[in-house]
Amino acid sequence: MILVVEDDRGWETYYRRILKGHELCFCHDGIAAIMEMDEVKPNLVILDVLLTGPTGFAVLNEMRSYPELAEVPVAIISSVKMKDEMAEQYGVVKVYDKGELMPADVISLAEEYDGKESA
Amino acid sequence: MESEVYSASFDAGLSDGLTADSSTIVVAHELKAPLSLMRQLALSLDYEDDITGAREVGRQIVATSDRALRQVQDLTRIARLDDALFEMEPVNPRIVCDEVVAELWKLFRFNKRELQLDYRNKRHLAVANRQLLYSVVYNFCLNAMNYGGEELPSRVSVYDRQNKIRIDVRDFGPTVPTKVWREIKDGFVKKPVEIAMRPGSSGLGLYIAAKFANYMHSDFGLVRHRDGTSFYIDLPISRQLSLV
Repeated sequence: MILVVEDDRGWETYYRRILKGHELCFCHDGIAAIMEMDEVKPNLVILDVLLTGPTGFAVLNEMRSYPELAEVPVAIISSVKMKDEMAEQYGVVKVYDKGELMPADVISLAEEYDGKESA
Repeated sequence: MESEVYSASFDAGLSDGLTADSSTIVVAHELKAPLSLMRQLALSLDYEDDITGAREVGRQIVATSDRALRQVQDLTRIARLDDALFEMEPVNPRIVCDEVVAELWKLFRFNKRELQLDYRNKRHLAVANRQLLYSVVYNFCLNAMNYGGEELPSRVSVYDRQNKIRIDVRDFGPTVPTKVWREIKDGFVKKPVEIAMRPGSSGLGLYIAAKFANYMHSDFGLVRHRDGTSFYIDLPISRQLSLV
């Protein structure tokens, strides 16, 4: 199960298309994401930074404060440029700029952490 | 409960062009979103097996690029506002809204959003520049698409208000914080992240709408609702028909 936290529905369509072989759950804001994580126990969280309401960093902070969510791998895929050190500080496994991302990057992430092959 | 926080003519404060560095960053950020998405969608075609799916991707790319092109076109118009003559003329707001919705419905669909029309005006002609009014309504609608939820459709309404015709676009997303509205009114939002309650937008669409409304000497403002926001423009009624 991969939880995608992304408020742009255009991107949601994209993720659904390239991650066909994976079970996906979408949340469109940070609060919903935190609530959903408890339910679905994702193997990977793909997180945008600029979200409606709390930002992706607020979601990360919240996640890291719960022992059962603290170890869930998080990859940031966002338009916001970010320094690697900042991501490391939050224990983020990968950071991608939406402008430079390749579908193969997303598929590799999914295969590495969710374990199944993409269609 | 509603509170009307601003109804401004936007005479003062807005930057005259897009030359300031902060403005350039804001515009670049805003245009990066559709460009990034189009790139990803094009790349994802390699993973699409059936022709129907590929066509759908193609349509989504076109709808996304149309949106980006429209914003570029609007920015060009802003730069030409002082030189070009955008004549004021009698305009039927319903027709303009119909055309905007016809252009945007696919983009709304790709974003899992719905847009409704609600026409209640008894007086049909307003004084405006058709191109500029189109852009104002278009940008209001884009704003509503970005911030509205899936549960409730955004709504374009046209109705009489005193001696004017009002076009408003209602969304049911998080309301615009007063601070942000003041920033838009006073100049330019300096950093995209300053619109924390309405991310993904630097306020560019509202900036464009404000410039055009100001050029047409129309009132432009917003109504904050507990469950969203309505952006509106008030247009003077055209007396042309009464002369016929």
